[in-house]
Amino acid sequence: MSEPLGRWSAVDTIGRSVREAPALRRGFGLTVLLAMAGAGARIVLPILLQQAIDRGLRHGRVRVDVVVHLALIGVAVVAVATLAQRTAVARLGIRSEQALFGLRVRLFEHIHRLSIADHNDERTGALVARVTGDVETLSQFFAWGGLALLLDGTLMVVVAAVMLAYDWLLAVVAFLVAAPLAILLRRVQAHLLTANDAARARNAEMLSQISELVGGSETLRAYGASRHYADATAATARRRADSFIRVGTIGAFLFPLGEVFSALTVSAVITLGVWLGPDRGLTAGAMVGFVFLTYRFLEPIAEFTEVIDQTQTAVAGMRRVLGVLGTPIGPPESADPQRLPSGPLDVYLANVDFAYPRRHDAEAERGASDDEPVLHQVTAHIPAGQQVALVGETGSGKTTLGRLVARLADPTRGQVLLGGVPLTEVANHDLRRRLVVVPQEPFLFDGTIADNLAFADPSATPQRLAEAVEALDLGDWLAGLPAGLDTEVGPRGSQLSAGERQLVALVRASIVDPAVLVLDEATSSVDALTEVRLGRALERLSRGRTSIAIAHRLSTAARADRVLVLDHGRLVEDGAHRDLVDAGGAYARMYDAWVSATDAARTTS
Amino acid sequence: MADPTTPTRRAPSKLRQAVRLLRGLLAGHRRLFLTAVGGASVYAICTVLSAFVVRLVTDRVITPRFTTGHVAVGTVLGVLGLVIGVALVRAAGVVVRRVWAGRTAWRVNEGLTRSVVQRYVDQPVPWHRRQTAGDLISRAGLDAEAATTVLNPLPFASSVIVMLVISSAWMLVTDAVLGLFAVALFPILIGLNLVYQRRADRYYDAAQDELGRLSAAVHESFDGVTVVKSLGAEQRETERLGLIAGRLRDARMGAVRVRSTFEALLDGIPNAANTALLVVGAYRVRAGAATVGELASFFYLFTLLVFPLRLIGFVLSDLPHSLAGWNRVREVLDAPVQPDPARTLGRSPDGAVRLHGVHYRHEGARDVLDGVDAEIPAGRTVAVVGATGAGKTTLLHLVAGLIEPSSGRIEVPAGDTLLVFQEPFLTVGTVRENVTLGRPIADRDVDEAVVTACAEFCYDLPNGLATMVGERGVGLSGGQRQRIALARALVRRPAVLLLDDTTSALDPATEAAVLANLRRQLGSMTVLAVASRPSTIALADDVLYLVDGVVAAHGRHEALLAGVPGYRTLIEAFEHDRAALDAAAGEDAGEAAEATVGAGAEVRP
Repeated sequence: MSEPLGRWSAVDTIGRSVREAPALRRGFGLTVLLAMAGAGARIVLPILLQQAIDRGLRHGRVRVDVVVHLALIGVAVVAVATLAQRTAVARLGIRSEQALFGLRVRLFEHIHRLSIADHNDERTGALVARVTGDVETLSQFFAWGGLALLLDGTLMVVVAAVMLAYDWLLAVVAFLVAAPLAILLRRVQAHLLTANDAARARNAEMLSQISELVGGSETLRAYGASRHYADATAATARRRADSFIRVGTIGAFLFPLGEVFSALTVSAVITLGVWLGPDRGLTAGAMVGFVFLTYRFLEPIAEFTEVIDQTQTAVAGMRRVLGVLGTPIGPPESADPQRLPSGPLDVYLANVDFAYPRRHDAEAERGASDDEPVLHQVTAHIPAGQQVALVGETGSGKTTLGRLVARLADPTRGQVLLGGVPLTEVANHDLRRRLVVVPQEPFLFDGTIADNLAFADPSATPQRLAEAVEALDLGDWLAGLPAGLDTEVGPRGSQLSAGERQLVALVRASIVDPAVLVLDEATSSVDALTEVRLGRALERLSRGRTSIAIAHRLSTAARADRVLVLDHGRLVEDGAHRDLVDAGGAYARMYDAWVSATDAARTTS
Repeated sequence: MADPTTPTRRAPSKLRQAVRLLRGLLAGHRRLFLTAVGGASVYAICTVLSAFVVRLVTDRVITPRFTTGHVAVGTVLGVLGLVIGVALVRAAGVVVRRVWAGRTAWRVNEGLTRSVVQRYVDQPVPWHRRQTAGDLISRAGLDAEAATTVLNPLPFASSVIVMLVISSAWMLVTDAVLGLFAVALFPILIGLNLVYQRRADRYYDAAQDELGRLSAAVHESFDGVTVVKSLGAEQRETERLGLIAGRLRDARMGAVRVRSTFEALLDGIPNAANTALLVVGAYRVRAGAATVGELASFFYLFTLLVFPLRLIGFVLSDLPHSLAGWNRVREVLDAPVQPDPARTLGRSPDGAVRLHGVHYRHEGARDVLDGVDAEIPAGRTVAVVGATGAGKTTLLHLVAGLIEPSSGRIEVPAGDTLLVFQEPFLTVGTVRENVTLGRPIADRDVDEAVVTACAEFCYDLPNGLATMVGERGVGLSGGQRQRIALARALVRRPAVLLLDDTTSALDPATEAAVLANLRRQLGSMTVLAVASRPSTIALADDVLYLVDGVVAAHGRHEALLAGVPGYRTLIEAFEHDRAALDAAAGEDAGEAAEATVGAGAEVRP
């Protein structure tokens, strides 16, 4: 039960939520008033019954006209109250959906502006969960728990007030007898919460077991281990069923407890009422009415305990959402941006350091050594139009250096200058038109090739797109596709081969017509023909532009004007391929490894 | 439970579907379900009884006390005993109903998951290759769960019928006029519930669809955040996602409007009816045909019946989802188990692996293997070499008996023929469990296999062989995973070991050590290894060179280099970039090998 409060208490969380989504608070007071009026429909019956019994149905002297009169008032009250309740429910629902819509859009915007460091693979799932799952929890809360809080809460307040007005002593006794119910229900609820957590864990366990069994089906079959894993999966299914049955068993006691307490409370009310009776000025009608009111008062209590659970879930979800909104956004825009000079641009890395920042929110505990420095004191000048290859082992920092040049993150120390202007002072839209990154595994959106190309420039006409394809000498490739530019690429471009996705990314980059290209070379397999096309397209695309290639193949480095060799975040060598091979340093060792491997293979022949 | 207000022609077929669903679900679980229905019936009877008790409270206790001033203590105690007694029995009925409804639903669910998983295990590899993992997981998990959701409200709903019948009978017997008036309202309320459910479901279904779409779009957008940011499209993406979120909001608001209206009506109509009942009651009381207590008990019963009436709507709303889930589960269970491809493997008398005219084709595609003939004598180590798409992996999968040839014959020796897959699959579990895969194997044998596979690094893991690996375990490099997968095969002492580029992610020195171990320790074992590294190929006794699905050459590496120009070109192209890659990217460059081999494939003999 003792749930850690995290960085904000529940009250803070709710306060901050209202500030983030002001639509929630607007008109809330009126909604509550309407809900109270709506509760009138539920108390009209006991009051009417009391009035009718005392004034119209008195023993031996039934006055139908009085009852008709009362009934007419009753119908009118029910009609008005029903309308009020309808309005209150609609207001709460519509306001909350509008507020959550606003919150979602704020999240989209904020998450897109987060630094790329906050967007690594393992975090993407968590960020998606914030926008879908957590906001969904809130939506469910407003639709059920929040609504119940509003309707049942106002009903209890109104009923309690009417009970006190009839007879304060009877009312107080009723409240006192019912009080232990609240405590008991909390107890049951606590057990229920623990059982629920266990059941959720068992559920996850079963699903992951099934996914193993399915994902590893070939291995399991090849090794005759299928039966063993099917039995293990069946066991997880049994454990899951057991734990959910336990949840159901505990939950089964919530409402019956309420019923038993209703009976006890009503008995107490009747005993006291009959005992004190007319001496306290009570009437038969008032007694009957009071019994009805007591039932009404206790009706929502069991539901309330479920609402408390939902409220806790919603607050936890909101806290996670606020955690994302509280994460500072990626490289901030300069308040007074400078324009980049037109024409070719040079790149200057001045004493650049970089370390990935520690995480800001709840997931922080999982990342262990995040602020390991990745780059130290990297300085290099890349003149406009030069083709540079960054070389180094995995983890040497070459990908990060590429990201800094593209300002997907800012250096922790030092500066990156583009055309003589510090990147921190370049307007985002200006930078994105002049510098383009082609990532290692280019991402394509589900849609047509034209959609994906137009992502670079939504105003580009189909003709312009076709010209761009032609300009990179890819006309024959496009012609070979089933529907040309209108070919569907599938989710993440899955209908195309890895090489074709790279081709699309190159065309997409060319449409921007940037002065600087940052290319993260692919390592994935590409068929021979596509390899040739890629080489040609790349050559055409880089012509006349400053290009920085993060090279995974020495053959790429050998073709570049200049090679920068990184080792553990330091720039250890800088020069032309030939010179570096002659110099006998780290690059030469890589080259030697290649040569000796080749020789080794040769001597065996 | 056919729709009583609109007896259309479609109703019977829906009803038949529903009956078939329930029959199928409840087969073998009748007792649990009947217990739940029994509990629900007790609850239903007690509900009507409690209304009768309200009448006693009014007529026997309150009215006498407040009109004549006297009431016998015994009467009061007796009536109060009834109040509490009926409440206790009723509560017990609810507990039994809920607990057993839960047990029914979860046991049925568990059974479905087990059968589906068992079917997955029974189906051979070719069947699995035609399915997607996500679909199979969702059928075993979510769909099985959806199929059983209808079982939760079902006992309650069936008791509602009991409740309606008993209370109608009771009201009619107590006072025919009042009873008729009340009973006439039931169909109206049920009809209202059904209309409500149908209208609301339309919006809920739409909202569910939009939520799915939103979730997919958000996932895509956050996955592609590098593209979004590097092309400066943050604002556009936010707007695009906002559009989808807006549709979700609109669907939700539609549901809110329907809901607020109907909820208010479902509350308001019984209340308005009750006031009308008051007038009818007044006439009846004046005529001496009814007592005040009877009137009060009718009121009470009416308020109690409002919620249970909604259960019928809930069941009808759950039914389509359950049917959909059930049908998806049935599709798996009804699909016949396909024959095991391993049955087609012949037994070779002399321990050799033989392939005679082996063809293999995917549906509709060209032949992957186009008549392969080969004989590999027992104890030989053969490297399978060829360009991407030459059919190397297919060849191994055929020999392993995972798939069967379209025509031709394959013979393998007695004993295990084990394949170590290209992508090593590790289950969630310890290193040891990954090696044994549930088979009882002595520690000594596990250790021996680990050492032979050069997987000694396992002993340095935090808990040695007891360290958890797989999805949630320690991170292992591709090379480490490959060596564990190799140990898994070795520990079973197979007669034939098939390695599908298994050592590709190892550095050359480790790879050489692994291969040397294999030769030294397992002299009698036949090894077929897909290889793309000269050093690996050089260690084999023979090379089986595949081109476009046929054996282009079979002989010693040196002989092929000298006599087969295509082979020489392939090896050279492959030495060239492969070595560079190994040097530059270290252990993680496995995939790239295919790219360079692909490049070589352009030149064929």
